[in-house]
Amino acid sequence: MSNSSLRSMVRSPLVVVVTLVLLWFVATFLVFPNVNLLVGTFFPDGRFSGGAVEKLLSSERAMNSLWHSFLLAATLAVTVNVVGIFIVLVTEYFAIRGARLLWLGYATTLIYGGIVLAAGYNFIYGRYGFITNAVRNVFPDVDPNWFSGYFAVVVVMTFATTTNHMLFLGSSLAKIDYQTIEAARSMGASTVRILWRIVLPALRPMIFAVTVLTFLTGLGALTAPLVLGGQDFQTIAPIILTFSRSTGSRDLAALLAILLGVATIILLALMNRVEKSGVYFSVAKVATPLKKQPIRNPLANALVHVAAYALFVVYAAPVLLIVLFSFLESTAILTGTITWDAFTLDNYATVFGSTAVLRPFVVSVVYSALASLIAVVGLLFVARILQKHRNPLSTLIEYLLHIPWILPTILIALALLQTFDRPNALVGGNVLTGTTVLLLVAYVVVKIPFTLRLLKASFASVPESLEDAARILGAPALYTLRTVLFPLVVPTAAAITALNFNSLLDDYDAAVFLYHPLYQPLGIAIKASTEGENNLDSMSITFVYTVLLMIIMGLTMYLVYGRSRVSPSRRRRRRSGVSVPDRTAEVLVAADPQRPPVRSST
Amino acid sequence: MHRPLRVTSVATVLLGALALTACSSGGEAAAGSGGESADAGGTLVVYTNSNGDGRGEWITEQATEAGFDIEIVGLGGADLANRVVAEKNNPVGDVVFGLNNMYFETLKAEEAIAPYTPAWSGEVDEQAGDAEDGAYWPLVEQAIVTVYDSADDSIDVPDDVSKLWTDDSYAGRYEVNTALGQATPQLVLAGLLAEHTDEGEDLGVTEDGWEQVEAYFANGTPAEEGTDLYARFARDEMDFGTIPSSGITSRDAEYGTTTGILVPENGVPYVTEQIAVIEGTKRQDQAQEFIDWFGSADVQGAFAAEFSAYPVNEAAREQALPEVIERMESLPKQEIDWTLTREHIGEWVEKTELEYLP
Repeated sequence: MSNSSLRSMVRSPLVVVVTLVLLWFVATFLVFPNVNLLVGTFFPDGRFSGGAVEKLLSSERAMNSLWHSFLLAATLAVTVNVVGIFIVLVTEYFAIRGARLLWLGYATTLIYGGIVLAAGYNFIYGRYGFITNAVRNVFPDVDPNWFSGYFAVVVVMTFATTTNHMLFLGSSLAKIDYQTIEAARSMGASTVRILWRIVLPALRPMIFAVTVLTFLTGLGALTAPLVLGGQDFQTIAPIILTFSRSTGSRDLAALLAILLGVATIILLALMNRVEKSGVYFSVAKVATPLKKQPIRNPLANALVHVAAYALFVVYAAPVLLIVLFSFLESTAILTGTITWDAFTLDNYATVFGSTAVLRPFVVSVVYSALASLIAVVGLLFVARILQKHRNPLSTLIEYLLHIPWILPTILIALALLQTFDRPNALVGGNVLTGTTVLLLVAYVVVKIPFTLRLLKASFASVPESLEDAARILGAPALYTLRTVLFPLVVPTAAAITALNFNSLLDDYDAAVFLYHPLYQPLGIAIKASTEGENNLDSMSITFVYTVLLMIIMGLTMYLVYGRSRVSPSRRRRRRSGVSVPDRTAEVLVAADPQRPPVRSST
Repeated sequence: MHRPLRVTSVATVLLGALALTACSSGGEAAAGSGGESADAGGTLVVYTNSNGDGRGEWITEQATEAGFDIEIVGLGGADLANRVVAEKNNPVGDVVFGLNNMYFETLKAEEAIAPYTPAWSGEVDEQAGDAEDGAYWPLVEQAIVTVYDSADDSIDVPDDVSKLWTDDSYAGRYEVNTALGQATPQLVLAGLLAEHTDEGEDLGVTEDGWEQVEAYFANGTPAEEGTDLYARFARDEMDFGTIPSSGITSRDAEYGTTTGILVPENGVPYVTEQIAVIEGTKRQDQAQEFIDWFGSADVQGAFAAEFSAYPVNEAAREQALPEVIERMESLPKQEIDWTLTREHIGEWVEKTELEYLP
């Protein structure tokens, strides 16, 4: 079977071209540099140095941190799914009052993260946070450190990482075949039963994909444990970062990173297996859009409403606080004594007063946009091929494409820097070190695994009959891809582009080694303006930059993704007109008398 | 109505615009590198970790006035050293300054910097730089000190710093910086171990030394990401902590504290920021001229007055702030075997990171 798959791969010129380009890219930018670096790390004098394993095994701290990382990843895989599925259901599936407002509140995690997010939560619930203070005014016996350790990290990261659920699960849900739900209802199935037996199973490919992402986020958790973990719950990522920056300890960093990477790949393989064993055509085959379901039990309805709005407050509060804090003096924030006098515009003056403040924004916007577009457009072809042609070659390529998940960005950047500092035949004999290209390459590389996973999951929910029909009617492969398949995954692809763009915008780890001196990206500029021994306003300036980033990111989400999220009634009206791809799909499938006309994307 | 179509058109326009921008930037870059090889002119790229607090802008401004065309690339210490080493086959930077002698020793060992004797070499203490080979030269000095708020009467000031980690009454009341990838915490570690070095021992340190390190970290409270030490003083969360001496003045002004310093008998670790030409630069003459200018008594003096620094250049020292001079002169220099420290600091950090950090 795999042989015939290989043969069919070779038959299509499109597939051959994409595969060749892909092989070149994987060999040049993924395998060669990293193997180079790892060989240099583990075989410093041409001999294998196994000291790293021993050192790690005998270190109680490393072992504890490693265990914490895995514990966190496993916990998040559950908690994020619970919260994530809940918020998707209340915003997209159930009829909840003010669902649109709720959606906006939950969507705040799209536009900020990292240290600012952790700090935001700390200022609310931490030892000097105002909730803690307020509670202690009433109940003085409450432990001021209640919000720290494992519990606090899990809470913060659970709320912070539901982004993928919001976007990808949300768009999968919208494609569900509503007639099956109606049929089930008319046969007397309860709300819970419909949810459990029809809705959730249809979402499974996407749930798998976002679970892998969540697991990975948990393993790589960095700032939340640093800020909130306290002494009892530190994770492995800070240790890996410290070690990757020191030449002598780089073997330890690489070993730890590979360990985490292998765990992720094993999970991925398991999920792939489960995904293969089932058939999930979640695209609706009839022109009935999903109708929001009322919760008929009044008590359950009230409870869901209360929970949804409570979550809304939890999500929205840190954002409001960050905006507020950007107008406050640092001392006031840090010492927790906020008075009217402490409000100031100085932080904004500092940021906008420095020379050429705009340039880093432009540089980063261009880099991030190019990188995310290249990654998504390129991988649209790749994901389809990998999903359609399953043979040893495509499996190998798929796993190789996950290399950037295994190694920390710092090591990937260093590997690129050291590999392309001399003329290299793989890139036409050019030197890439010191050019503007290398950072772009790094950005594309680090975004590959995330993009690929989600695009594959998105393609997995496209019924094969669509493509068969197109082929029977004699449509060329590229035409079929363009007019039949791509429109079905465009919402997901757009969301991935926006997310990639947002996450690259303030990157520091890759830029620090690769940026061209004349094109300073934002992450470096932020770092420069928040560092310094006498810079006591660094927290406030970080908040200002966060607010500015939120504005850009919010705008991106609106432009690329948010416009399709108009209120359901408007969306439905808009849909009633048949768009070109819709019609193509309908015409194509109508040619197959066995199938009802197919409705295309949401 | 035709959403997919519209998305495509928006994407096309966006992509087109970006491609144009990218082309123009790529073009500029290409032109720039073409110019470099032609006449070795063009912008002088200055690598530094000492661009914070507005220093980068100040230096650029002064350099422009003096007729230099420079671009500051500011990165954290460890990252900067890594970048210079990784780029050594095809250097992007021309001059590097601000890193301490431990980092510069690494750059020298990796042959990433080129020896050059600046015009002002006679005005600085040779011992503060690379006395052996003169590969890098000293600019400013600072001490790494243990501080407290002397205005706070409730603090029981120990007669010796080491009491902080040997006396239980101080448990958790002093801040330890656990970010050992950074320069200051590394120097604290070097200072702790300096009294317990022994070439014969494993990693060059005796058991006693490691016991000190273990107690130091076990008894302290880790620094909090994003929270300044003095903010923790202000909310009475912490009594003592370690910072570079140059940060004291601005913090006293901001938090209304009166900083007291715990001075151990053996002195405190000093760190000296250095400057050097990057090996293989295409703008070697310019780089050397820049070093001659930047390290000169005038510029270092003005820099010291502006940023309360303490220059190594003796002629420049006169322009340093009186309180800075007074403070630095009251702080004896700890004897640290730098050769041994440079050799082992990586291993020390690794061992501490794996075994002793909380």
